[in-house]
Amino acid sequence: MRAFRRQKGHYVAQLDPGERDVVASVVADVAELLGAGRLEDGNPPATGEPVPGAPGGWSVRTGPVPPPQDPAVRRLLPDASRDDPEVADEFRRLTEDDLRGRKVARLRALWTALVRGEPGWPEHALVVSPDQADDVAATLTDLRLVLGERLGIRTDADSEALYDGLGDGDEDDVRAYLASVYGALSWLQESLLAVMLAAPERPGTGRRRSDG
Amino acid sequence: MGVVPALTAPDTRPDVAGSTSTADAWVTIVWNDPVNLMTYVTYVFRTYFGYPTEKAEHLMRQVHEEGRAVVSTGNREAMEIDVQAMHSYGLWATMQRGGQ
Repeated sequence: MRAFRRQKGHYVAQLDPGERDVVASVVADVAELLGAGRLEDGNPPATGEPVPGAPGGWSVRTGPVPPPQDPAVRRLLPDASRDDPEVADEFRRLTEDDLRGRKVARLRALWTALVRGEPGWPEHALVVSPDQADDVAATLTDLRLVLGERLGIRTDADSEALYDGLGDGDEDDVRAYLASVYGALSWLQESLLAVMLAAPERPGTGRRRSDG
Repeated sequence: MGVVPALTAPDTRPDVAGSTSTADAWVTIVWNDPVNLMTYVTYVFRTYFGYPTEKAEHLMRQVHEEGRAVVSTGNREAMEIDVQAMHSYGLWATMQRGGQ
């Protein structure tokens, strides 16, 4: 694995076929947790994502949406209030389908880039355009959040202990394996952010600043 | 430690209806988590909110060291949009009425 570097106006990392398979399978696992089915099985839709409970595209839910049972999914789709169920329920009803759809679409894009590569680039290259970088950085976060939850990382001290212990475990040990993937994705994300932050300042993409 | 009011003061989006009563004032809070990278959190504050790097880094450090920071203020609908954006980025955010 080689860290992201700026190359011909793009952000380019290198992952060998084994590394690609590992990362792609984590991507597929997280998409499945979010209700997308297995990415390997489906024909990717061009736009949007079918979301469980919302057939036919985006619709405003009228009934309550229960919080996810799996703590890893709940970390991807967290409560919007710690102490006010009305606020949390209303937020989940209004936003959860959209958030799931966005995350799954991003995961699918990264999975496709890992599996298919980029025409005109070396086969080991993972090529991210500046326009996609925001989504890829966010998706690497989602992968790390799920792995972090599975690894029981609850505090900053847990996180530091995990990084300190990388390479200590038996390679057949599941925890050591997940920890090594987590460490590699952290390193990859850090390198992507480094090239993104070194790039010329881009206008903010998210918030509408013009209302009012 | 509490929230530093000066951090939220510069973010003065007028309410849509021109109402500035405190009853309409909500805040978006980002909570510390052990997974998100400090560079990433700073990047999100800079990119999404359009904050200068210095303010984005200050808020990131506040989240990391104090466990939470108020990152935006506005009416409830605006805060729903900001919280949803933070969740999209993978940050753990909540919203509540200001002053609570």
